[in-house]
Amino acid sequence: MAPPRPYWKGYLKLSLVTCPVSMMPATSEAEKVRFHTLNRKTNNRVVSRYVDAETGKEVDEEDEAKGYERGENDFLVIEEEELESVTLESARTIDIEKFVPRDTIEWVWLQKPHYLSPSDEVGHEAFSVIRDAMEAEKVVGISRLVLGRRERAVMLEPCGKGIVVWTLRYGDEVRKPENYFGDIGDGDNDPKLMSLVTSLIEERSKPWNPDMVQDPVQEKLKEIIESKRKSAKKGAKPKGKGKGEEPAYTGNVIDLMSALKNSLEKKSGGKSK
Amino acid sequence: MAVAGRAQWKGYIRFGEVTAPVALYTATSTSERISFHTVNRETGNRVRREFVDSATGKPVEKEDQVKGYELDNDRYVVLEPEEVAAAVPESDKTLRVQAFITCDDIDKIYFDRPYYLTPDKMGAEAYALLRDGMHKKKVAAIAQTVLFRRMRTVLVRTHEKGLIATTLNFDYEVRSAKEAFKEIPDIKIKGEMLDLAKHIIGIKKGTFSADEFDDRYEAALAELVKAKMDGKTLPKRAPPKVSKPNELLEALRQSAGIKAAAEPKRRASKAAAKGRSKATRSAAAKAKTAAKSAAAQRRRAS
Repeated sequence: MAPPRPYWKGYLKLSLVTCPVSMMPATSEAEKVRFHTLNRKTNNRVVSRYVDAETGKEVDEEDEAKGYERGENDFLVIEEEELESVTLESARTIDIEKFVPRDTIEWVWLQKPHYLSPSDEVGHEAFSVIRDAMEAEKVVGISRLVLGRRERAVMLEPCGKGIVVWTLRYGDEVRKPENYFGDIGDGDNDPKLMSLVTSLIEERSKPWNPDMVQDPVQEKLKEIIESKRKSAKKGAKPKGKGKGEEPAYTGNVIDLMSALKNSLEKKSGGKSK
Repeated sequence: MAVAGRAQWKGYIRFGEVTAPVALYTATSTSERISFHTVNRETGNRVRREFVDSATGKPVEKEDQVKGYELDNDRYVVLEPEEVAAAVPESDKTLRVQAFITCDDIDKIYFDRPYYLTPDKMGAEAYALLRDGMHKKKVAAIAQTVLFRRMRTVLVRTHEKGLIATTLNFDYEVRSAKEAFKEIPDIKIKGEMLDLAKHIIGIKKGTFSADEFDDRYEAALAELVKAKMDGKTLPKRAPPKVSKPNELLEALRQSAGIKAAAEPKRRASKAAAKGRSKATRSAAAKAKTAAKSAAAQRRRAS
């Protein structure tokens, strides 16, 4: 596989300080168990190709172009190079407009993380100045950036020697929480229940650990593939699954009290998992 | 809650021995964007996708398309949809809280999509208790369940009067930050440079409001399309001037508006061309411009 090429190249700018940077997505599909589509009848790979909608003839890759529909079935071909001449500053430059205290941006606005690094030796120091000052002041930077033919607000947060750039959702891309939470009570919780639930939380608190984001299904798929590889004839039968039974919920206060007490006893009795 | 629309998922949240019925609603939507169509440059017609056998070149019917895992060159293990589905545990529709984590401790890099997590009438009390308990202890909960036929880990955190459940990406779906940044030299900035940069941050401090940001790309693209239809080409923008290491301190000073700014190059050369006689006048103008630009900067920042 090809080494990860920079997904975006441009400049990071703070007032009169500018440095060349490159960026790549922080997420990747590369390690996922990937499947190809096969033709069951021939066992050959299935590939997709483009055909002309009118003539039905195959279209060569170099003839595939981006078309802007200016009328019905009337397309203006726009070349990639032409797209690059779009006049927005934010197409090439992350110009930090303002700084806000860290953690004041609700998580719900965070859309997609990217890793930003200096791309040339000339900018190492300038990059470090911007990063270290944000770190020292406990702030994140806010800017605009064109990615995937959209201009979005982005948040810049120092992360070790680099900077994480989060694209942020537009105002109308987050649904109004009032519409969902409007009917929820403010919580006149019984103090006894509160003290039980806080004890439960304390008991079950753990430090963050990447093991918490392991995927049991991926492991299982790998096992299935492995067993199929071994048995040339037929794949091992998947094991019988447990019945998915819906639990009974904890209804009233008395239930809640005894359930919370049970949780605490259960936990302190045995060793933690 | 008529406005809320239909729940994406209905089930239960379980912490300790307490179980409460809840529902999940997508918290986000994707707004429209300009789309291009793929066209055939030769004919100007639109194109459509066709799935063909790589060896025979013949179209493959939908029901003949199966998933294959590549062992090595051109050898595949075929997995039927039922087999793939069997790898996902049966859903008991329960978000089981496995641990509570201090909010400051959470690595946001794993965040995928947020959902509003709402209580069912029958579980309102237990829900409020969990919400207020987590709020008080400044923690979020890690839970796992089968969502939309996929095993997912979610992070549940308080949000206003409710809870937000954010799906998390798995470890193998996130690149290591350490790895990504390993080529960056270890430079720690101290002294005047750091102080100046902190000062600039102070000038530009504000608050974030998502509503202030709109997509200006569409307008810019429309301009580009119009220019093309008129047979014109838009001028290419020159790349910005990169601050060289030996100019960095001066650039920071100017940005902070601390020292009188040096003359921008363009104007400096023009002044030079005009001859020496005007040197004194130009110097005065210089000071004026610098004062003006510093003031403008302060205005912009506030």
